[in-house]
Amino acid sequence: MDANHPLATREELASLDFYTDLADRYLAVDGLEARWVSFTNNEILPDRETAERMHYLVSLARAVEETLDSAFRSGHIPGTAFFGRGNEGASVASAMCLEEHEWLVPMHRNCGAHLAKGHPPRSIMSHFFGRADGPSGGRDGNFHMGYRPKRITQLISHIGTMVPIATGVAWAAKARGKGEATINYIGDGGTSAGDFHEAVNFAAVRKLPLVIIIDNNQYAYKTLLSDQYACDALVLKAPGYGLPGFLIDGTNAPLVHHVCSQALARAREGGGPTLIESITMRAAGHSVYDKFSDYVDMEHFEKWTSERDPIKRLDEALIEFGVMSVEEVAASHDKARKDAEDARDEALKSPMPDPAHLTEGVFAE
Amino acid sequence: MITYREALSAAMWEEMERDEEVFLLGEDIGLGGGAFNITKGFMEKFGRDRVVDVPLSEAGFTGTAIGAALCGMRPVVEFQFADFVTESYKMIVDYAAGNHYRQMGPVPIVLRLPAAALVSAGPFHSQNPEIWFFGTPGLKIVAPTTAFDAKGMLKGAIRDPNPVIFMEYKKFYNYPVNELPDVLRPEIPEQDYTVPFGEARTLREGDDISLITFGTTVLEALEAAEVLENDGVSVEVIDLRTLVPLDKEAILKSVRKTGKILFLHEARKRGGVGGELAAIVSEEVFEYLDAPVRRVGAPEAHVPLSPPLERAYLPSTEKVVDELRDLAAF
Repeated sequence: MDANHPLATREELASLDFYTDLADRYLAVDGLEARWVSFTNNEILPDRETAERMHYLVSLARAVEETLDSAFRSGHIPGTAFFGRGNEGASVASAMCLEEHEWLVPMHRNCGAHLAKGHPPRSIMSHFFGRADGPSGGRDGNFHMGYRPKRITQLISHIGTMVPIATGVAWAAKARGKGEATINYIGDGGTSAGDFHEAVNFAAVRKLPLVIIIDNNQYAYKTLLSDQYACDALVLKAPGYGLPGFLIDGTNAPLVHHVCSQALARAREGGGPTLIESITMRAAGHSVYDKFSDYVDMEHFEKWTSERDPIKRLDEALIEFGVMSVEEVAASHDKARKDAEDARDEALKSPMPDPAHLTEGVFAE
Repeated sequence: MITYREALSAAMWEEMERDEEVFLLGEDIGLGGGAFNITKGFMEKFGRDRVVDVPLSEAGFTGTAIGAALCGMRPVVEFQFADFVTESYKMIVDYAAGNHYRQMGPVPIVLRLPAAALVSAGPFHSQNPEIWFFGTPGLKIVAPTTAFDAKGMLKGAIRDPNPVIFMEYKKFYNYPVNELPDVLRPEIPEQDYTVPFGEARTLREGDDISLITFGTTVLEALEAAEVLENDGVSVEVIDLRTLVPLDKEAILKSVRKTGKILFLHEARKRGGVGGELAAIVSEEVFEYLDAPVRRVGAPEAHVPLSPPLERAYLPSTEKVVDELRDLAAF
């Protein structure tokens, strides 16, 4: 690590404030050293083409989820729905770093990652609506979905389970020796699950090409961070596994892209896994049924959702540094909104699954 | 003739030579050759990236195997004892078993579970895992009892696109071949072969009572049938070989002939596979029955360690004989 970056003191770590301490720097952890790396928003911006795509996808992620939310309220979604509001920037900007042939192992709040990897909004809508042409044919719903044509694995409800799956995907990537890597997400709550430990440890032991992004959105359903872990930050678990780690503001999409692309490059070159703790705010309930204002500190919530909204931040940064004009940003949002609504309209015309096929496909032939 | 253990080794060795996507994961299987020395010499031949000594983390390495299988690899996972598969339960039942049904692709993994009682192995090294998996769709469950089946079924399991619960019986690993009944030591062909799943094997033909079993209790079944022959009762003994898929027709055909049926397994009677099989018989061939469907399995207790307790727990030849005589007299 660059010795020019100042060391974080024990006091600084013990009193970390995600809102103020990560505004213009991030924490890089390696071994027993944690250093502050300062940045300006200008220097971390991706090239214009990437930035435009990022903007559209971040906006699309929100538009798809807002469309789904209103479809839920209209009775079009059986079961429940989880959304990643507040995580769109981190989700899109990280998954965008993957190549077409690389696998993505997403979690519940990764609509953005699905879209960035190429999962069409139309297919996502059909899945939520329980339709026959969704990726699971109506056999599951909500964000329990994968999309094999774009190499996205399915997740199951059991939190933590997906980290070992990601380790296996990374194992296959390494075994085939083509320099491929994978990304997996886990929440702050998920890091408490034993599977997280087992998988991260094994990935580290075998130097697997895996980037694990902890989406620390400050709530695990109704549980506070202070009831979830006792370390100063989850990224500080990385040295215990012999891994490097980064603690970043996940509402700054270009920063996520900047850090994640470095971690992936390292993984592809055989350098092994990286743990990235990405701080966001879960800007909605755990699910559509969750009345979160009952237990969330709403003053803290308002501060984050107004000042650290990933879409607003991206709009402002791209305009401020002349990457996109005000008109281009507005047009990008309009296109995203229209694409989401068109996808919904099409999906609502899809047939429901036929019970005649209920027991088909239990086994592969 | 080779032992059951050697048959398992040969199956994996040949499959690894045949297909480079096949690899092994498990605790102590590389450097140490595994708790039962089934993979001895494998790491030297295939390297540490295909014979993988994993950290102590059953859920983690089962999940790793599933992830690799999603990408088209063919992992074979060795559990040191079948009992430890409970660590991995959600990975198998919730992830692997349903992935294909949810249209997310096949999960070709083999879970090798050294199962059932040995001698005083205690509550955590003696269990029969089929009871934990039998109710879950999407898992094949196989139970080879001979070296021939061990080899052919393991090869078949590795080539199968589905998750396979592969129960292998510690009791048979090193069982002296010359002490086995002839019917349990079929000739193993030189050339490549697989044993198709879902085909039961009649170990002994009979006319009076059908005795249906699988796993370790094939031994007690054959002994008991011998005793009944001296009574003048002809018992048909069938080894199911695989539980999923199930050769239902073999069971029904036999009981249509004999009119009396006894299900035998080492696992507990309550919640054991015999209950489901008895229900099938009652539903489908009730009119052929001349006596109630009977079951022999372990009693309602955990597998105990101390010899007198363990002897009392396990289904013995005497218990099977008693049930058969009861049925014969019915």
